[in-house]
Amino acid sequence: MVSRDEIKHLGWLSRLELTEEEISKFTLQIEEIIGYLNKLDSVSLSEIEPVRSRKNISELRKDRIEPFRADPLEGSKNRKDGFIKGPRLN
Amino acid sequence: MTSEIKIGLEIHCQLTYLKSKLFCPCYNDYRFRSPNSNICPICSGLPGTLPLLNQSALEHASLLSISLGCKIPNEIIFYRKNYFYPDLPKNFQLTQYNAYGITSIGVDGKLEYDTGSKKHARIRRIQLEEDPGKLVYENNSMDNSFYTLIDYNRAGVSLVEIVTEPDFIAPKDVRIFLNKITSIVEHLRICDTRLEGAVRCDANVSIGEGRRVEIKNIGSFKEVEKALSYEITRQKTMSAREIEIKAETRHWDEARKITKQARGKETEEDYRYFPEPDIPTIVLDNSFLLALERNMPELPDQRRRRYITNYELGDHVSQVLIDNKELSDLFESAIAIYPAPKAIANWIVSDLIKFINKNNHNQSERNHEGSTSISELRIEAKHIAELAKLVDQDMISRTTAKGLINQMIKTGELPSQLVQKTNASKIDDQNIILDAIETVFKDEMSAVNDARQNSKATNFLLGRIMQFTKGKADPKIALDLINKKLIEST
Amino acid sequence: MVNLCSLTAEQIVKGIRNEEFSAEEYISQILERIEKIDDKVNAFVVVDNSGALEKARHIDKMVRSGEDGKDLGSLAGVAVGVKDNICTRGLRTTCASKMLQDYVPPYDATVVRKLKDDGAIVVGKLNLDEFAMGSTTEFSMYGSTHNPWNTKYVPGGSSGGSGASVAASECAISLGSDTGGSVRCPASFCSVVGLKPTYGCVSRFGLISYANSLEQVGPMGKTVSDVVMVMNSISGIDDNDQTTVDNEIPKYTIKPSGNIRIGLLKEMVEGAEPEISKCIYSAMDLFSSLGCECKETSMKSIEYALASYYTIAMAESSSNLARYDNIRYGFDLSSDSYEWNAYFAKVRSYLGEEVKRRIIAGSYVLSSGYYGKYYLKAQKVRTILKQEITSLFKSFDILIGPTMPVMPFKFGEKIDDPLKMYMVDINTVIANLTGIPAISIPAGFSKKLPIGLQIMAGEFQEQMLFDAAFLFENTANIQRSPEL
Repeated sequence: MVSRDEIKHLGWLSRLELTEEEISKFTLQIEEIIGYLNKLDSVSLSEIEPVRSRKNISELRKDRIEPFRADPLEGSKNRKDGFIKGPRLN
Repeated sequence: MTSEIKIGLEIHCQLTYLKSKLFCPCYNDYRFRSPNSNICPICSGLPGTLPLLNQSALEHASLLSISLGCKIPNEIIFYRKNYFYPDLPKNFQLTQYNAYGITSIGVDGKLEYDTGSKKHARIRRIQLEEDPGKLVYENNSMDNSFYTLIDYNRAGVSLVEIVTEPDFIAPKDVRIFLNKITSIVEHLRICDTRLEGAVRCDANVSIGEGRRVEIKNIGSFKEVEKALSYEITRQKTMSAREIEIKAETRHWDEARKITKQARGKETEEDYRYFPEPDIPTIVLDNSFLLALERNMPELPDQRRRRYITNYELGDHVSQVLIDNKELSDLFESAIAIYPAPKAIANWIVSDLIKFINKNNHNQSERNHEGSTSISELRIEAKHIAELAKLVDQDMISRTTAKGLINQMIKTGELPSQLVQKTNASKIDDQNIILDAIETVFKDEMSAVNDARQNSKATNFLLGRIMQFTKGKADPKIALDLINKKLIEST
Repeated sequence: MVNLCSLTAEQIVKGIRNEEFSAEEYISQILERIEKIDDKVNAFVVVDNSGALEKARHIDKMVRSGEDGKDLGSLAGVAVGVKDNICTRGLRTTCASKMLQDYVPPYDATVVRKLKDDGAIVVGKLNLDEFAMGSTTEFSMYGSTHNPWNTKYVPGGSSGGSGASVAASECAISLGSDTGGSVRCPASFCSVVGLKPTYGCVSRFGLISYANSLEQVGPMGKTVSDVVMVMNSISGIDDNDQTTVDNEIPKYTIKPSGNIRIGLLKEMVEGAEPEISKCIYSAMDLFSSLGCECKETSMKSIEYALASYYTIAMAESSSNLARYDNIRYGFDLSSDSYEWNAYFAKVRSYLGEEVKRRIIAGSYVLSSGYYGKYYLKAQKVRTILKQEITSLFKSFDILIGPTMPVMPFKFGEKIDDPLKMYMVDINTVIANLTGIPAISIPAGFSKKLPIGLQIMAGEFQEQMLFDAAFLFENTANIQRSPEL
């Protein structure tokens, strides 16, 4: 049901480099896990609304400025002229 | 196969009048700051931080929904759009999504626009979302850079996205529509469209049965018409040669003025949307909606109708005024000083506007992204009001007045000041004009003879008088005196 | 010298205030004890010796200068351990993961700030399963934490360090986080008190997200009273967390009570190992003898709870962990020779096995076409659970059962079978799915290993939990300190 190719694709989607061994292991284990999750199929849920917390718009944050008084990225090793330096896109 | 053109738009407007970002209290005004100096743990995506939704962002977006005729749902939800990219601090974007129920800030709207004939475009939805950070490359070239530089100052700024149905049939129509959108967001005071990057527009085009092509990376509203024209020509050419048009994403290359295939593996990204657990469902109750309607600023169309009804301005003049909110604001301030709406409107629409367009032209040559503001010309309401008043009171001639505008925009001096300086008053002293007439008559004997029979020649004489007095003579008085003199000397 | 380490928070606050001992004396003993025994327990990831002593001296100064009790703080001088997925400013916070190996937060979590404001002293960060994903603390890059009652056994998880450190008297109180039982499980396995508050009762600002629609920061301590003290400090609406609610309860108290209507959830008792069920039935008898009305009851929708929990938890975790790309925080690996996709995939390969498993499974259930079948359904199941439990709370003030279906087990026993490991959460996930508060209190021992009793109450009914828990604790007198 859950195929090796699917696991490979999901690994890519999640940016996780997986070894062949990991792909094999995960394929088996996740198939089993998803098999268990299929339990949800046997519940009739068409009329039900999902759980969510609710707030009125008046309870939200007011539009005020509060600058953060430190450098949130201070610990970063990859700074260059203030920028964060990351890998190339090409 | 029909060659019916279908164009749809995805317009992004930054909510530039907010003080803080969409989900954190950093400055919304991120421009011109040094890299990563306008960030906090939330917008830089530090672990353990939670989004704090800005109440005013919802208000501004709701105003837009209403003005585009959209329905605002009772409850709105934010969703995560999951994908990886270096400019995304959390590697997901907080946005809105309607696939599992209508929860974005507006749906099913409609906006009418006038291209000579009345048209309309349906608005599929309006949603709020956050802007990502900015990427900078070595030598400005993404293709050649060994690394990428990331600046999160812009990350988390509020965007409102407007998605239309593919209801447009020509690039020109799109341009007119976008002008109207610009006018609306300016009148609502939710987006200052002159700011660099404040408005962006992606478009999609299909011809007949052909597949839909998305065009991204269009840097400004002005470029949209060009990009669309190019793409339509491209598709028509391919079609004529019976080459299949693939469904794809293309990028607009502003420098070369072409669309080109988007680079890189275009495997369809699965965004795995799900509702953001850290932001509750927001209830927009009736009191909120009522307050919104009450406080709604005057929309461009309303304003235009008011100009036509109350001030008896013409259709075209009214349209030009409201297309640029600065002009209509200037107009209303000016008539508050000197109540001559028709005259003032004409001064603005016929004369002042040339200087704005000229400035625009210069700036686009310099590759400036924003458009000209009147404040860059040093002219205010009092200038226009005074100009109209002086002309009305016959203190200066219309021609003189036109000439004054050039000076005014440069120095900011009032017309009355300029007049004093250059002694530009209309010469209504009859003696001075009589003197002029005598001199001119002597020089133009044959014309004088002609004029006695043919009134058309009189105009020639008048012209020579105006020349002689350097345009300062009052034409009415001069003509009067010319005719008198002609009769006298017969 | 009196062993100050085994004192409760309540006793410490009193002792320092009455100048029976100084905060510095107390903290020194605590730090010494950690030094001496944490080799065996491995509860701590990092210990802040200098910071803790400095704070202790500051409190002593305030005591000597005659500060009013209120200014001193309700938890003045108390040693607290903080689970290493809760941000502490200036103190490394790693989530037991390589992805945050070198991360030092520039801000305090709200719960940490509040404890500090009330005078508590953070002595160090506590071990956990990586990113809070696990039930045994075996999935930590710092090695497993050991159960102080028998170091060959797991302490529970994911807040294993939080449970073990309190049990071993390495700190008086600790903060853990509970997503599917991660505070109550170690509380049960280590014989301490652990609370999962009502969702929205305690701020999650600074709690590094694993599954944000389910989790809460939870206090752990040796006594119900200590847990109440911490709750009074950390609970309350927070502007930095829009999912917190104003529950309008001024202060929780410890008071005598009786006449509590108690429902024993039969599905939970029947699903437990026999020695556990026996212990729980005894507990029920004890309640009855104290004048409470006890009845067995049933909750049918329990059978879907675990499937619903793991669907939601894995889905949310796959998205919450996306930000770990080693660009702004992480470990030393230069991005110089990499294209960005390859770099992201490479660094994230350093995530632990369990974390990767959940991310992949989570992406699966969220992927196009599957959203309606899994995630959406799982969220709807929560509504059904909520409906059923709300109706139960019409007839009962509290619902009880065993916290865990199994006794503490040895290392390695369940680690190769993910699904088998997930099954141990079967009693605890209900409280997270429905948002209601739940507490685990020591109920007894079997073969010298602890058994915990779980008590659940309606939304924001923490006081009811405290009343029942205190009533039991006061009478049952279960042993509190292992011989370490």
